[in-house]
Amino acid sequence: MSSSGASHKLHGLRLALGEHYRIINSNKLSQFGFWVIVVFTVIALLAPWLAPYDPWEMTYDSEGNFASLRPPSWEFPMGTTHLGYDLFSQLILATRTTLLIGVVSGFISIVIGANVGLIAGYYGGKVDEVLMRITDILYGMPFLPFIIVLIALFGRKLEFIILAIVLIIWRTSARVIRAQAMSIKQRQFIQMAKARGASDFRIIYFHILPNVMPLLLLYAAFNIAWSIITEASASFLGFGDGETISWGGMLYELWLSGKTRVAWWWFASPSVCIILLVVSLVFVSRAYEEVANPRLRKR
Amino acid sequence: MLDYILRRFVYTLITIFAVATILFIIFRMLPGEPTMQVISPAMDPAVQERMREAFGLNEPVWKQYMIYMKNLATLEWGRSFVSAQEVTDILGHRFWNTILLMAAGMCMTLVLGIGMGIIMAWRRNGPVDLIGTVVGLIFQAAPPFITGLLLLMVLSYRLGMFPTGGMYAPGARPDGVLDLLMTADFWHRLVLPTLTVGMYYISTPMLIMRDSMLEVLGSDYIELARAKGLKSRVIMMRHAARNALLGVVTISGIMIGFAVGGQVVVESLFSWPGMGQLMVESAAQHDYPVAQGTFLMLAILVISLNFLTDVLYSYLDPRIKITAKGLS
Repeated sequence: MSSSGASHKLHGLRLALGEHYRIINSNKLSQFGFWVIVVFTVIALLAPWLAPYDPWEMTYDSEGNFASLRPPSWEFPMGTTHLGYDLFSQLILATRTTLLIGVVSGFISIVIGANVGLIAGYYGGKVDEVLMRITDILYGMPFLPFIIVLIALFGRKLEFIILAIVLIIWRTSARVIRAQAMSIKQRQFIQMAKARGASDFRIIYFHILPNVMPLLLLYAAFNIAWSIITEASASFLGFGDGETISWGGMLYELWLSGKTRVAWWWFASPSVCIILLVVSLVFVSRAYEEVANPRLRKR
Repeated sequence: MLDYILRRFVYTLITIFAVATILFIIFRMLPGEPTMQVISPAMDPAVQERMREAFGLNEPVWKQYMIYMKNLATLEWGRSFVSAQEVTDILGHRFWNTILLMAAGMCMTLVLGIGMGIIMAWRRNGPVDLIGTVVGLIFQAAPPFITGLLLLMVLSYRLGMFPTGGMYAPGARPDGVLDLLMTADFWHRLVLPTLTVGMYYISTPMLIMRDSMLEVLGSDYIELARAKGLKSRVIMMRHAARNALLGVVTISGIMIGFAVGGQVVVESLFSWPGMGQLMVESAAQHDYPVAQGTFLMLAILVISLNFLTDVLYSYLDPRIKITAKGLS
């Protein structure tokens, strides 16, 4: 990462499409993660066409018997719940909810975090002080309890869950991006842009932003992963959206039904999906971390 | 340094104040009667009216806010809608239960995590390093309610090795914390929730320790120690590990802060009678005074932990004196 003094962009850090391809293929784990994410995205997009049943539809087997608590079989690939709901259909439709929450809250929170971080880091002084105190206050908020309070007060709705997650989660990205922006600000090419009379807006969004891009993508992936874990945890505690099926919600229904002792299949599939998706996001983000933090690269 | 600590302390107070204010605003935005925050709809109308007077709910908002702040400061946190007990009394009991579980979980996380991190850095790129990294990341990706459920299903339901939950056997209510700590049953019941907490957080100190060890190992003074012919064990423990710990300390504070919020899941899963379980129960029952008090208490815990981390960090790293303002 040699800062090429005269040029006003750090070419080494700007990411073209080909760069993304190289980063993701740089190791086995991130390759694995990338393909898992692709598969889940396809499932989420095609969910209503892939799921054989409604999530809360009582099912009957080919002989016409009520299919309650069936272990996985050809007819019900992931088994059924005690009320005869098909877990395979639930799982597919829940993928859509989980990805939606992850992507929407991940995106909004990184936009807030990036802006707060860039503005605080670039302007410094009073602006920085105020923004960082707000961030400190958010660090004082216990995350899950905050979501539980909001949901208990305003109702079990998807919008409120996303809102609650977004309100808290941007804090980490703001701090990290601020630190990076502060160091980039000192570089020669920024000083030169200033001398040429570039506006603050232009410097922040055209000169600094491209250089914090790897870091931004890294934290976007983290934010998505955290959102997914958080939504699943809140749903498991009974503070999810009651009308939309999600992986955490499936486990909540299992816990409520008291069938944990028998229905291992009911536990297995949503759990594996949550872990698989989150771990994939972490694997991919670690590949970006090596770009964002070159000191790690040699190891 | 004293100056730095003092300033941090003032920030800490301001943060608590701000969180309390946010809480006031959120509860005030409640759809329907704003009085639901303190007055149970189930109460007698005459009593409701008297309480409205007492909490100043007929007054303008700014005056309500003053009364709210005064009540918080004088520990008048209201009564539960469900049990009519004082919120502060309920919290007094629950507080230590949460602290006990958190302390056990964090001890396990830090001791094992730091130890593993040192070994992984030592045997860098070897099988231990690779397996440690992957297993750590998977544990981190598995939300505590999943690992907790798995532990329950395997060790408790299937193998019957541990009780399914609670802090003591039904009916055996110990008199105090000390009494509780003396019973073997308590320690037995502590194992599963501690493992659940520990597994989720272990990768943080482990990977940070590994990375900062490697960073330290690349620096000049380690080269010098090597050139002096010191044994690699001495270099590892005395020179590298000591300096690498600094990074772990900072992260641990934030991690323990996060863990306070995570208690909600673990305590609910293992019916551990702490503040996290109380938070879920009171929110589900719309017992607002308890929910509000518990949230505030958890927030104060997180904020105090953040403060302690800052102090500890400034003590461990003398360079902080010069750059006091730069750290946030």
